[in-house]
Amino acid sequence: MQKDEIKQVILDCEVEAGDFSVGGEASSKLKSLLHKLGIPAQTIRKIAIATYELEINIIIHTYGGSLKAEVTPSEIRVIASDKGPGIADLEKAFQPGYSTASQKAREMGFGAGMGLCNIKRYSDELNVETEVGKGTEIEARISLRESGDSNE
Amino acid sequence: MSNIHSVLLKPDKCKGCTNCVKNCPTNAIRVHQGQAKIKEEYCIDCGECIRSCEYHAKYGATDDLADLKEYKYPVALVPPSFYGQFTQDINPAKVMLALKDIGFFQIWDVALGAEALTQVTKEYIRDNDRTLISSSCPGVVRLIQLLYPELLGYLAPFKSPVEIVAQRAREFIKAELGAKDEEIGIFFITPCPAKMTTVNNPLGMEESYLDRAIAVDTIYHELIKRVDNLDDCCKIEGYDIPYFGISWASGGGEADLLEGISTVSVAGIHNVMSVLEELDRGDLAHIQYFEMVACQPGCVGGVFNVKNPFLAEFNIHNLVKKGINLVEQDLNKYDMNLQNSFKEKSIASLDDDLIVAMAKLTKLEKEIEILPGLDCAACGAPDCRTLAEDIINGLASRTDCIFILRQQVADLADEMATLAHALPPVMKRNKEESDDDED
Ligand SMILES: Nc1ncnc2c1ncn2[C@@H]1O[C@H](COP(=O)(O)OP(=O)(O)OP(=O)(O)O)[C@@H](O)[C@H]1O
Ligand code: SF4
Ligand SMILES: [Mg+2]
Repeated sequence: MQKDEIKQVILDCEVEAGDFSVGGEASSKLKSLLHKLGIPAQTIRKIAIATYELEINIIIHTYGGSLKAEVTPSEIRVIASDKGPGIADLEKAFQPGYSTASQKAREMGFGAGMGLCNIKRYSDELNVETEVGKGTEIEARISLRESGDSNE
Repeated sequence: MSNIHSVLLKPDKCKGCTNCVKNCPTNAIRVHQGQAKIKEEYCIDCGECIRSCEYHAKYGATDDLADLKEYKYPVALVPPSFYGQFTQDINPAKVMLALKDIGFFQIWDVALGAEALTQVTKEYIRDNDRTLISSSCPGVVRLIQLLYPELLGYLAPFKSPVEIVAQRAREFIKAELGAKDEEIGIFFITPCPAKMTTVNNPLGMEESYLDRAIAVDTIYHELIKRVDNLDDCCKIEGYDIPYFGISWASGGGEADLLEGISTVSVAGIHNVMSVLEELDRGDLAHIQYFEMVACQPGCVGGVFNVKNPFLAEFNIHNLVKKGINLVEQDLNKYDMNLQNSFKEKSIASLDDDLIVAMAKLTKLEKEIEILPGLDCAACGAPDCRTLAEDIINGLASRTDCIFILRQQVADLADEMATLAHALPPVMKRNKEESDDDED
């Protein structure tokens, strides 16, 4: 029980709007930190993909924001928060193929409208809070339980 | 000879420079007291350090020709890249005959296995709708096991062409001649330490079908001598040279043979890592096959080869042009499926216990903050992050960093100067000084 109260922020970084060239840096860094913690490979795969999609969404759809990752003995939480513009229709945003990505973003290979679906698919729990004009906060939680050992 | 690795160090030649330390893709090397040391559990035998050592202190341990005598039926397995070591007037048939002259009972072309594997891979991708990474270069497979275990599922579940042909050759000789296993010696003429290591440490299988591996540079001169005595236009009756399979020797050759499949070819271990980073971000669904090899520009760049890799590539291209079709063969004679899946080599973590690892990670981040971040390698580690990790693992100390050391010496000198002026109260200062003090 007590172990679960340990919580550690292992990543907390700014993500700038429109800066494609560094897109993926935060998720790469998180991935190598998770390896250092000995997180199972398949869990790392899920977290890395979800984090990358969150990071890119901040870059291409928002005015900037931040990416944070927290570890507890039972789960990893990735929190992406941004300064707007917020998501008007959440249901639509989660539809596969729906995208408002700019022409420039599409030329870079983004805008398939698959990001949010993938984030949902790879996380065990997803919480979205958004307000038009204010911003969005998405929390993806990935459990360490199922693949972890049972002697805890 | 180390049983785990074939890349070794000649201590007397090592000058303690940090070229290899900086070039090692897995951060496996440190210099301590003027000597490079390879951390065995991190080494993937890719040969990058051999390539980057100006002093030839790193080498690959392989077998030699004297070992042929140990077998009644010594068999040579020729990799596609070997043919790149010769110019046009020395054709594959001539190379094969010269090998026979050296004392091999039979010569088998690995390119035949490459052609067979190509066909099976093509079918597999179509039937399973899966994206694959080639598992033919052991340097790449070990890199993924060590640093990208989350991508292990991408590796093609097939043996490498070398193993496929080794198994086939062994079975053939046993069936045709009634030979016993121990009478047969399968020798791979290896372009690289990565393949050498698979003889004792195979990947995805319990035991290799190879018995020995002889480095290209060990056999080359003996072979050239014999080639000179052979007729220029020699041929081997009834043997079709697998020209297409030979194209595997240079980067892109393997992928080009997979007609109708969308492929990407990556050569060079650092380039391979950059593409694996991309794959870590999600599936690249529009790509079905990744040809990935540790050497540039493909196996012709293996460190045991004698020809300049790009000139060898030129020779290969000329040979491949002679190919018209894949050699017709019965694919059922090959056993290509791997017994085991590729396993993760989990050594990257700071501790097996998550709580301990978390505490260590905090310490690590603090240590990284303290170090100057110049990545100069003067401490013997490849960069500041790695030194920090060595420090928290108790393998190095902060003063291994020359900048920290200098700072500490400077601080100490300041302190000594201060101390030198601080006289015990019972002593009287000399006159001048006490006069100054009163001013
Ligand atoms: N943080 C955000 N702030 C505002 N809008 C967002 C945010 N994240 C997603 N959206 C909206 O939701 C849509 C769908 O997002 P999703 O990540 O699924 O697809 P995409 O980013 O457009 O394309 P892809 O992720 O496949 O490159 C986006 O086009 C955008 O309109
Ligand atoms: S690319 Fe070829 S020569 Fe180089 S390590 Fe891999 S198998 Fe060996
Ligand atoms: Mg997206």
